[in-house]
Amino acid sequence: MASIKCIYCNFVGTIEKQGITFDGKASDIPISRSFKHKGHYPFLRQVFLVILLGIACAMPVMAAQIQLPAIVEPASQEHHVGKLIFVELVTPDIAVAKKFYAGLFGWTFRDIQDGETKYAEAFLDGHPVAGLIHKNVPASQHRQPAWLSFFAVGDVDAAKNVALQNGAKILFEPHSIPNRGREAVFADPQGAVFAVLASSNGDPPDVLAAPGEWIWISLITSDPETNAAFYQTLFDYEVFELPSSAGAQHLLLASDNYARASVNTLPADRPNAHPHWLNYIRVKDTVKMTAKVVALGGRVLVKPRIDRHGGKVAVVADPFGAPFGLLEWPDTESKEVTK
Amino acid sequence: MNIILLRWLRWLALAFVLCTLTVLLYGCIVPGGGYGYDDGGGIGGAYYEPFGFDYGGWGPDYQVAPYRGGDHRPASGGGHASAHAYRSAPASHSMPSIPSHSRSGGSRSRSGGSRSR
Repeated sequence: MASIKCIYCNFVGTIEKQGITFDGKASDIPISRSFKHKGHYPFLRQVFLVILLGIACAMPVMAAQIQLPAIVEPASQEHHVGKLIFVELVTPDIAVAKKFYAGLFGWTFRDIQDGETKYAEAFLDGHPVAGLIHKNVPASQHRQPAWLSFFAVGDVDAAKNVALQNGAKILFEPHSIPNRGREAVFADPQGAVFAVLASSNGDPPDVLAAPGEWIWISLITSDPETNAAFYQTLFDYEVFELPSSAGAQHLLLASDNYARASVNTLPADRPNAHPHWLNYIRVKDTVKMTAKVVALGGRVLVKPRIDRHGGKVAVVADPFGAPFGLLEWPDTESKEVTK
Repeated sequence: MNIILLRWLRWLALAFVLCTLTVLLYGCIVPGGGYGYDDGGGIGGAYYEPFGFDYGGWGPDYQVAPYRGGDHRPASGGGHASAHAYRSAPASHSMPSIPSHSRSGGSRSRSGGSRSR
């Protein structure tokens, strides 16, 4: 019985077992390195493994490539660095969250699902106002959802460098989302979490928010002055001092000659308070809306109260504890200010 | 052991190592699990806050909103190069407010500031 050796793997076998027929005496065949043994397909094997590796390498990237709508449709040429341009909420029950916000503000939703990721884009009168992401929170983690604020920047990577050089921490590295733009998430030097977004379609125009849209944002922090300096460096804000009581500091951040945000000292004697950004939705009647929040399963964190603009402000939480503000802002121009 | 099986095992081991490295590398590029934050399914982030944080406690003078129209800048405010960690807006700049015109049209005037850039 003649032996043969595979040219690829040095397998030594017999021509009979390899199904090779030979017209003549088998003993005449010398040991050869020119055979490929039965079932040996090195090329196909390599192609298979390359495909396997390609899929394995691409999976994380593919997971990040969910298609999200732009925050501005149609595209605009406007850019307003430092402006709050979008907000996102991660919630453990997207159906309940949608019911709450739809009932409260009349938002409508467009569902986007990619694999296990559920995303709902919220609209008000056809304009995108927010994004909701479904994500379970294990009970052991003791976490509650919070709205994440996205500020406009022109260059996310440059913003990252500035933020890190000035004491921020990166929580989510700059990454691009098709149609949406490029974004990153940080914790500022006092720990308040915020995001920056270079929108692919430009920024929303500077117009008065309609009832049900985000109108204002404030930073409640342990060190307003240092925080104001940080955001001034990052977004080139102008900083205005506002009257405040002793022991507190109230500042106003502005860009493009518009007020963009306030910075306020954390309330005293609140050991569980922590620096955070708080977004406000414009409402026509804060008192009525807080009652509606409760009826829909939410909570009131700060009861309605008159603020410096003359309207009422309240802070509430959705059924999962995500806090947000309600801010009255009449349509009519007014010079009357309640101090 | 069959030499073919050994070679397959070698390839599979290589594939496993590469997959593991890829996953680890991806984990380094997109760090999740930071303070109050983790991966939101690859589409941004999942921002949470520890349960039980306090959002209330606003005293009677606690105000967060912007002014409406006009110039409400305190006489002493602004223009100090000074003692602040931030740069105060120049004293010539009036206190700005939020946009006053609606999306549907109306005045394009700015409600607060009196200057232009």
